[in-house]
Amino acid sequence: MIWKGLGLITNSESPIVVVLSGSMEPAFYRGDLLFLTNPASEQYRTGDITVYKIPGQDIPIVHRVLETHDLVQKKKDKRAGLPVEQLLLTKGDNNAVDDIDLYRGIKWLERKHIVGKVRGFLPYVGYVTIAMNDFPQLKYALLGGLGLLALIQRE
Amino acid sequence: MAPSRKFANSGRDPRTPSPSRLDGGSSATSSPERPVGPLSIPMPPEDREVIKVNNANLTELKHALDDALKRYLGRPDLFKQSYLHTDVRLALGWLSVFVAAGTALYGYKVEFEESKPLVWVGLLSYMALSVIQSLYAYFIEGNIVFVGRRKTFSKRIITERITISSTTTPVKKSKPPAYSLSLHYVRSTSGGKSLLAKGKTQSHKGYNAFFDGLGTLDQEKFEQWVGGLVEQAMQGKTS
Repeated sequence: MIWKGLGLITNSESPIVVVLSGSMEPAFYRGDLLFLTNPASEQYRTGDITVYKIPGQDIPIVHRVLETHDLVQKKKDKRAGLPVEQLLLTKGDNNAVDDIDLYRGIKWLERKHIVGKVRGFLPYVGYVTIAMNDFPQLKYALLGGLGLLALIQRE
Repeated sequence: MAPSRKFANSGRDPRTPSPSRLDGGSSATSSPERPVGPLSIPMPPEDREVIKVNNANLTELKHALDDALKRYLGRPDLFKQSYLHTDVRLALGWLSVFVAAGTALYGYKVEFEESKPLVWVGLLSYMALSVIQSLYAYFIEGNIVFVGRRKTFSKRIITERITISSTTTPVKKSKPPAYSLSLHYVRSTSGGKSLLAKGKTQSHKGYNAFFDGLGTLDQEKFEQWVGGLVEQAMQGKTS
């Protein structure tokens, strides 16, 4: 419930993510933990680091915004609190080319693809998640341990 | 005078409560229909299990004494335990678990932007339930460990209600940690309309009086102490 509450407050699907690749070095390394927010009134600018998800792809990607194009916002969308529609192009700091190949057919990222903007990070902490994904037994062991604790404790 | 009479009676026949108590004939200090107190119903030794706890853990000590108290007073012919507080807390707890599970499942199935309003509802209800549960436990349940009722049918239907709260006072300088009990007893008839007796007793004793060095509980000694307090409350004494 704390996770769900955090997601609602930050307006982001997944407010805490782990960096899986080295495409943002030397800013972020594999295993860093990133904290994201996605406020609707946010205007993304060149230089912001965003996490986005291409529809049909499971894994979110964290790269820097290279270009933005702001579209005119309809009055009814503004009243509804929807974000200003923007078209974004991103590139990883450590990559030679921009992300156009990663977009799988679409030309620009839209706001609905963005999970959030990076606000802060913690180095190395994400390795726990990477370990649990690579060795699922760790995940089950942790869950089993937590369950056992809940059963043994009184009140 | 009252304590010596009890010991003489229980020496006669340990299996049955002494009949004079039920008739109330020789009882000089209470009404003729006074119901049976816990000291007159002895516990057969076969029912006992050895209770051993970790001496150093105050919480375990308190829980061991609370459980022994519930077992002692919950015997047949004695009080019937009321599980209202436990039931309310369980209901609130289970409800919050279902709300949390439902919200999580819904958030997983439905896309983020669409799911937001209902997830808000789920989150706020979960928080409300947790807050209500904590407030209930703190204010309404408080230190209560046992709520019991008993109905005896002598000439009229006599209803008794007893509420027992227990607290622990931790160790202070050279005083050992102590277990303090406070009992509130009410005896009434005709559906609670006419009050027959009302008593409030309070007492405390160090844990070292009941637990030995290894952590074994001296159940008989504890039961004598509790039984004495209950009978004091039943006599309508306020102390």
